[in-house]
Amino acid sequence: MTFRLQLFLILGTFVLLTVIYVFLKKGKLTVKYSLAWLGLSLALFIFALWPYCVYVIRDLLDMVMPSNVIFLLLFGFVLMVLLSLSVAVSQLATKNKTLTQACALLEKRVRQLEEQLREK
Amino acid sequence: MRILVLIPCYNEEENIVRVVRRLESACPGVDYLVINDCSTDSSPRLLSREGMNYLDLPVNLGIGGGVQCGYRYAVANGYDIAIQMDGDGQHDPAYLEDVVRPVAQGQLDLCIGSRFLKKEGFQTSFMRRVGIRFLSFLIFLFSGNRVLDVTSGFRACNREMMEYFVRHYATDYPEPESILAASLTGFRVGEVPVVMQERLGGVSSISAFNSVYFMIKVSLSLIISRLALHRSNRRNAA
Repeated sequence: MTFRLQLFLILGTFVLLTVIYVFLKKGKLTVKYSLAWLGLSLALFIFALWPYCVYVIRDLLDMVMPSNVIFLLLFGFVLMVLLSLSVAVSQLATKNKTLTQACALLEKRVRQLEEQLREK
Repeated sequence: MRILVLIPCYNEEENIVRVVRRLESACPGVDYLVINDCSTDSSPRLLSREGMNYLDLPVNLGIGGGVQCGYRYAVANGYDIAIQMDGDGQHDPAYLEDVVRPVAQGQLDLCIGSRFLKKEGFQTSFMRRVGIRFLSFLIFLFSGNRVLDVTSGFRACNREMMEYFVRHYATDYPEPESILAASLTGFRVGEVPVVMQERLGGVSSISAFNSVYFMIKVSLSLIISRLALHRSNRRNAA
C-alpha cells in the first residue's frame, strides 16, 4: 500500500468523521444510526494507519492488490449499513401504519362525538 | 350476532354511494364501514355528504392497511363477524349471507367468496386466472388447503380471525398471504361460490405493470410465510 493511498484514506476518514459529527451536532442524525457509519470510518482509519492488517487479509483472501482488499471490505461494510437502513425503514413503515390506523379510528370517534354534541 | 361489512374505498367516487345503498337495501340488518384510504377524488366529500359510516385514513396505506384498520374497528366495537367487500361494485350483497353462513355456524374461521367454484359471472382475464391458479397451487403446496379464488376480496371472518389479522396483515395484496397464514396457524379457511360482476366504474388496483410486481411479491411472501410460520394450534399462536 503506497504512502499516498494511506494519506488519502486518512483524509477521507477525517472528512467522513467531520460530516458525521456535524450531522450529530445539528440533530440531523441520531446516535443510533451514526454507530454503523462511525464503525465504518474506524475501520478505514485502522487500514490507513496500520497497513499490516490489510496485508494479512490480502494473503488470507489470496488477492493481489492491498487496495482491492480495502475496497472489498468497505463495500461489504456499506452493504451492511444499507441493509440496516432497509430494516429501519421497514420498522418505520409498520409503526407508521399502526399510527395511521389509530389516528383514523380516533378521528372517527371525534367526528361522532361532535355530531352528538351538535344534536344536543 | 353483530355483523360489520368493511368496504375499502380508494378513489371510488363513481361506485361507492351505489355500493353502499345496494348493501343497505339488500342487507338491512348489518352495519357497514367504508374505509377511505386517503382518496384523491371526491370520495371523502361524498361519504361525508351522504352521512355514511366511514373511517378516514390520513395517509394512504394500501388495501391491506385499510382493511386491517377496519378489523381494528370491528374488534374495538365488539363485532362478531367482519366481511370485507370491495368498493367497486364487483361483489353483490345478495351473496353476503352465503359467505357469512359458514362463519356464523362455526364451520369456518375465514370464508372466501369464490367466483371459480361454479364458474359463473365475471371470471377476469386469462392471464390473471393463470396467476391466481399458480398462487392457489402454491398455497395448496404449502398448507394442503385448496382455495381456488385466492385473490378474492369478498370474505367473512370471525372474531378470533379478526384479532389475528389485527396483529398480522400484509400491507399490499394481502389476500393470498392471509389465506396461507390463517391456514398455517390453524384457522379453518374455506370457500363458497359467489357470482362476481365486472366493476361498475373506475380502474382496478392491479394494473398491467403492477401485475409482475404482484406475482413476485406474493409468491415470495408465501414462501417466507411457509418458512417462518410453523404449523400450530391457533390458541398457542399469539
